[in-house]
Amino acid sequence: MGPQIVTTHEQPTSKPPLTSKVYDVADFAAAQELFHSNGWTDGLPVVPPTRPAVEACLQWAAMAPDQLLGVEPVREQPITAEKVAINAVMAGCLPMHFPVVATALHAMLQEEYLLHGVTSSTGGCAALIVINGPIRLEIGANATFNALGNSDRATSVVGRAVRLALINLMDVRPGGIDRSTLGHPGKFSYCLAEDEEDTTWEPLSVVRGLPLGASAVTVMAAMAPRQIMNEWTTDPKEILETFAAEMRANQLNYSIYGGNYAIIIPKQLREHIQAAGWKKRDIGEFLYERARVRRGDWATVGKGSVVRDRADRIHPALQSPDHLLVVAAGGPAGGFGAVIAPWMGSKTKAVTAAIGACVDCAPPNT
Amino acid sequence: MTIRVLDPSNERHAADAQLAERAVSLRGKTVGFISNGKEGTKSYFKHLERMLREELGVADVVWRTKSNYSAPAEAEIVDEIKKWHAVVAGVGD
Repeated sequence: MGPQIVTTHEQPTSKPPLTSKVYDVADFAAAQELFHSNGWTDGLPVVPPTRPAVEACLQWAAMAPDQLLGVEPVREQPITAEKVAINAVMAGCLPMHFPVVATALHAMLQEEYLLHGVTSSTGGCAALIVINGPIRLEIGANATFNALGNSDRATSVVGRAVRLALINLMDVRPGGIDRSTLGHPGKFSYCLAEDEEDTTWEPLSVVRGLPLGASAVTVMAAMAPRQIMNEWTTDPKEILETFAAEMRANQLNYSIYGGNYAIIIPKQLREHIQAAGWKKRDIGEFLYERARVRRGDWATVGKGSVVRDRADRIHPALQSPDHLLVVAAGGPAGGFGAVIAPWMGSKTKAVTAAIGACVDCAPPNT
Repeated sequence: MTIRVLDPSNERHAADAQLAERAVSLRGKTVGFISNGKEGTKSYFKHLERMLREELGVADVVWRTKSNYSAPAEAEIVDEIKKWHAVVAGVGD
């Protein structure tokens, strides 16, 4: 649950060799056919991963090709920087995007994320990736218009790179490890940045324990966004009641069990909540109290057979207020917001990790 | 113009594993069930136990349930497998 720090190697003085198998193809079109026919894509065209492009990613992040980003715990699959960089290039990443991809995968390989469970489940979630800190601005990651719709290069390629790495390094292909009944469109790419410049709230990464100014990613095994609308009040409680209602609906219609929920609050609604002096912690406490359902209410949505003798049991959507991930993002106009539910209660937990690729950063206290 | 591209896959082959000896008959044997704990497994394994006992002469059926249906079975459960002659690791939904 706590933040993870990714340490990096010193800048290598000589270039260590890449060890991946090499294929020679006649041209760009032949490269596409090679990758599609081997099941190495998500269905879209890929950027051919050439040695110079992959080496540029590794050099940018100051990572050796064999640096371990983690080990997939169930099948003990080591995930190396070289292989992730190949998939990042395929997704369209430039070298500057690669540290974000590497850190996201490192975070997903932490035990509490339950990577095998979330990728093999019939539940069909995707990896939601929230970027915080200065790197958002360096790579141009979008936090405003169409925040959940992949409108920019950075968030599109980062999320896509993570999916391609899952497919190619962990065999998370539909019908293979990926047993999703439906899945959702976020599987292509489910990445956004937080609009830190246009909010008085602390960034998500800071709320989750990292220092202000550190670049970070937070990953969460997440269902599709459920959009809400309330343009007819300025009262934070009324605004948040709409979010709470959507969370309760998810509990009844999808999964009743509490876990990490993310809510995305765009500027229009955010400004009303901020003006009333509410912090992210206050939002978490309010929704902890309001987003909860009675087990017996399952009977109202056709699930009466599993209520049994526990009709009066109360299920909160959040196991504690700090399980809520509040993200300030979205276009400036519109009284909308989004609730993003966890894959399945608390079986998986969101993980926040610092991006440690900045070898030129001054050490603390200097 | 030829493009030289790199293999994006893990390039690993499944570790060598040796299959346990196959049981020729289940008569008089012990069979273990490792359930993922989902609702649908209860009636499925109950029916399977009846079939194993009545039709195949299985002597004993041991039921174990994982604590998390999306995670591997606990080490204690895996350790128990060696006491059984056969195991059914059922995925039920």
